[in-house]
This record gives sequence, C-alpha cells and structure tokens, in this order.
Amino acid sequence: MRIVVAHKWAADPQEAVVGADGAVDWSRARPAVSEYDAVAIAVGRQLADASGAELVGLSVGGPTAAAPLAAKAALARGLDSALIVADPALAEADSAVTAQVLAAAVTELGQVGLVLTGDCSVDRGARLTPAVLAGWLDWVCLAEVSAVRWDPTGLSLERESDGGWQSLTLSPPAVLALAAGAVYPPVPGMKDVLAAARKPIRQLDLGQLGLELIRAPLLLAAAPAPAPDRRGVVIDAMDPALAAAELVARLSHDGLTWEGRP
Amino acid sequence: MPFHLTDEQEIVRASLRQFAETEVKPLAAQLDREHRPPLETIPKLADLGVLGMTIPPPYGGSGTDYLSFVLALEELARVCATTAVMVEVHASLVATSILRFGDQAQKTHYLPELAAGRLIGAFALTEPGAGSDAAALTTRAEADPDGFVLNGQKIFITNGGFAGVFVVLARTSPAVGPKSISAFLVDRDRPGLSVGEPERKMGIRGSSTVSLLFDDLKLPRSALLGQLGQGFAIAMSGLDGGRTGIAAQALGIAQGAYEEAVAYAKQRVQFGQPIARLQAIQWLVADMATEIEAGRCLVYQAADRQDRGLPFSDAAAKAKLFCGPMATRVTHSALQILGGNGYTEAYPVERMCRDARITEIYEGTNEIQRLVIARSALR
Repeated sequence: MRIVVAHKWAADPQEAVVGADGAVDWSRARPAVSEYDAVAIAVGRQLADASGAELVGLSVGGPTAAAPLAAKAALARGLDSALIVADPALAEADSAVTAQVLAAAVTELGQVGLVLTGDCSVDRGARLTPAVLAGWLDWVCLAEVSAVRWDPTGLSLERESDGGWQSLTLSPPAVLALAAGAVYPPVPGMKDVLAAARKPIRQLDLGQLGLELIRAPLLLAAAPAPAPDRRGVVIDAMDPALAAAELVARLSHDGLTWEGRP
Repeated sequence: MPFHLTDEQEIVRASLRQFAETEVKPLAAQLDREHRPPLETIPKLADLGVLGMTIPPPYGGSGTDYLSFVLALEELARVCATTAVMVEVHASLVATSILRFGDQAQKTHYLPELAAGRLIGAFALTEPGAGSDAAALTTRAEADPDGFVLNGQKIFITNGGFAGVFVVLARTSPAVGPKSISAFLVDRDRPGLSVGEPERKMGIRGSSTVSLLFDDLKLPRSALLGQLGQGFAIAMSGLDGGRTGIAAQALGIAQGAYEEAVAYAKQRVQFGQPIARLQAIQWLVADMATEIEAGRCLVYQAADRQDRGLPFSDAAAKAKLFCGPMATRVTHSALQILGGNGYTEAYPVERMCRDARITEIYEGTNEIQRLVIARSALR
C-alpha cells in the first residue's frame, strides 16, 4: 500500500512582512515546505512505519514546484519518494484545480490507501483541497484529525474542534486533513538531509497526466486584512517606574483595569 | 567569487535555523546569566546529527561537507554563541583531529561516541606560558615502559568542565622545535587529571572554560594520536579548520545582532517616526549589512576550499581576521541602534557584544591570523 502526503512548496510565512495597514508582503519570503504539511508528513511517516507502506510525497504547482530543492526539502522530512506535477498552467491553481490534479496523480500512482494533507495551505488557507480531492476520488474525507493510528479494523482517529472531541474508526481509502497540532514535526536531521538526495523523484506535467483542467471557480481576488489587534505603542522602559505608570494609565484609559485599582 | 549553496546546504541551513530558534535561542540568555553550559542541548544536537557532521557515516556521523558544518555553526551562533563554540570545538578541533590522525582503534572507539554526544571533546593546547606561542608549551609526556607519564598544566580549555576526552598537546622531547610535541587522547577518568573551576568570562559565559592539571597521569602507548612528534602539525591542522569555524561563529553573532537592530529600528519611534527612517540609522544598517555579506563570502570560501581539498590555511585566517573584528563592530553598531535598551539584559544585543569579542582572540588572535596571512603572501 502507498500513503500519499500532499504538500505544497509555498512562501514561508515566517519571512512574510505584515505592514502597518495589515497587508502581507510576501515578496521577500522564500518558499519552504508548508509548516502544516510538515505535520502531515510526520504523521504519514508514523503510519507508514507501522504498516510497512511506502510514503510518497505529492506536490502540485507551477514551475517552482519542480525545483529539486522543493522535493528534497520534503523528502528530508521522511518521505520515501516524491511525485511532482509541475506545469505553468498550475502556477496560480486554486483549491479546486489543485485537488483535481492531485486526484489524477493519486490515480496514476495506484495502490494508494490513504492521502494525508496539512490543515490548510499556508498561502491561501482555504481548507477546501482535501474535501474536493476526496470528491474526485470518491473517498471519505475527514478534517481536523488530531490523532490517527492503525488498529485491527482499519484506522482509529481522533478529531478535536471547538465543538468537542470525536473518536472514529474508518476503513481506507480516505483523505485525512491533519490538525496543525497533531504532532510536532521534527526538524530534519543531517542524515535525513543527505539521504534525501538519494531518494527517487518523479516528475510529471499535465500532458503526461492526460488531464484537462476544470475552470477555476474559486479565484480569490482579495482578502480583507484582519482588524489590527495591536496598536504598536512602544513604552520606553529606561525608567521602570515611569514605564509602569504609563502602562497603567493607558490600560485605565481603555477601561482595562479594575475600578479603584489602577 | 559568487556562492550558490547546494540544495542540501540550503536544507541544512533551514533545519538549523528552525532548531536554533526553537531549542537554542530560548536558553541563550539563561545560560549566559548562570554561566552554565548547554548540557541539555547536547542530546538534541546529537539526534539532529550536528555533533557528527564532521564524522563519516561508518563511524556514526552524518558526514556532511565542511560548508554545511559552517552553516550550522553560523545558525547556532546567530542565537547563542556559547552553543556554537561548544559544537565547534567538539566536532571540528577534536573529531577531525581523531579522524585525520587517529589509528583505526582510536577512530572506532572515539568517533561513534563523539557523534552520538555520549562523549564531548575538548582540545588542550594553551598553557599559562604558551598562548599564541603554542610551540612554547611545557606540559611533558615522558616515555616509560608502559607508555607515557603526563605532567603539566593547561588553561582556557573549552568544554573542559564536562568533556569526556581531551586532545592534549605535550612535549615528548626536550629539544626545541615543533617536532618535540606530540598529541595524546586523554580520557577524563584517568587518575592524575584535575579539572579546575570554570573561568568567569566577559562573554560566551555558558561555555565551560577550565584549567587542567596533569599530575603523573599515566597513558598507554595507544593514547598517542598520530606519530610521535606530530603533535604540532595536528594542532595546526585542527586550528586551520577551527578558524573557519570561529569565523562562522563571529558571522552568526553579527547576523543575530544585525537582525535585532533592524527589527528594533523599524518599531522604535522617535521624533514621530520609526528610527529606521533616519539616515543616521540607515547608514549604520547599510554598513552592517555590507560587512556581514563580505564576511560570509570569506567564511564560505574558506570552507569550500577545505571541501575541495585545496589549501585553506590562508583563507581560514583571512576569514577569521575579518569576521572577528567585524562581529565586534556590527554588534556595537547594533547596540548603538538599540540605545539604552541595547545596554540592558532585556535585549540580547549586549550579550552578543560580549560574545563577539572572544572571536578576535581564541583559536588564534587577530595578530596570529595576520602572521599566517603575511607568511602566505610573502612566501
């Protein structure tokens, strides 16, 4: 059996700059394996080790997805092999298109029992790809999976959300979107980095998949910036007493101190 | 000479950045404040493969190239110079000395332990009367029927407080000259070895810096590293690579201070605007960025020469000569940008200022680097 982890080579949010107006400047952010997808790879590694399955990384995107660095960075996190579908037509692919291509690649791979994804993509964050992918494959999809392990009847899952906690069992095949906190993904070790260079990487384009893309119905033109939750006020701390007094005065002004106890 | 890191080197850097941010940075101020070595980080560094980067896989190491190792040191030093120097001495000075000059039994015995972090290495060269003049050392290893008897004193031994094995340089002949010196592998539990109290230092306070006293310490012949009389060559070989490592440490310290200064300049408002908009600050930042980039080129070039099997003593000395003072300048500029806040322990820049200074001194002072470079230039 194969376990596939869908991962994205996307701009690293750690290097994005948030302006005073809330706009995010991605221009200087270098790409990296999405931190959400690193969780999925780590969980996939555990499941593959427990079952003897092959762990295959699957990434879909424009030409940048074909960079050897992109595949090696994912392989260093524990994948056994990588399949890259890179095509200029996929450079701005949205969730629907990405899911369609992922489904075609999963079918092309064959013998896939499980597809794991991260909680969402770091750049778009739509949380749609797993469900649409499952739809294309006609498989079960579960999101916000916080724990997963093999048991004698199939997979045993846990899901946590604001609404509560669930314990489920299901039989593969399935698409599972891992919650961001499902595991703490380990930092790739030096041996993993060197081993990644020796792992197989296969690359396909849309023509080789024989795929005609659906029209993208989910184009995201703009997202409103969230309301600022910080005022950017910096209190000079050279004199601790004055700094404390100023802090208390500001909190009092905003009604954030108890009455009579400024 | 443009530098393009390989994919593997890019991933090493990214991994070390993540590790340093999550595992090393949170401890840095505390280690400094408590003058305490980062012992809890050693198993994590071993698991990550950092302690074995200079050790080939057959001996349990990860066996990366030296440039990758330098990137690791740079990333560690960016957040904690103490952790960086602990790794540098262990993996560069000690492990590479054993790898290059050890016999098969020594390699099989020590290298897997060093790679796994079960044994930390220290390099014992400096003495009260033999600092820059390393050949003037007076510690003696006198031959006896069972091997050698070691007597003497070493000072400023990094990692010495917890190291399990010491590479010790000692005189094996009363004759003057480098061929009168030999190197020995001394296990910590050998009777006759006394370890002094840690030095209270200006910077890299978490680094364990101790004196060693050898009092009729008996060594078997198997403790000899390399050939009799090869000790000075072993020391100089170790120091060449070590200088690139210390240059990388200086580079990382400078980079860390630079990032702190830039972040501060963008949010610190004076005269109604972030101070980053003031030309006085912009010029400081521009000079810092330029100096760091120049230093990076020298460090990477020295490491690359080592990887390609080219002579690198001169390149390593140039990298260290430039990066040590550069780190001092950049950290002081960073402190200037942070103003009064930079002078406090609330920000890491004052620690970085103190940490930077040693990079102009250990593993060869600026003056010794000039000596090495001049000898090469005037040859």
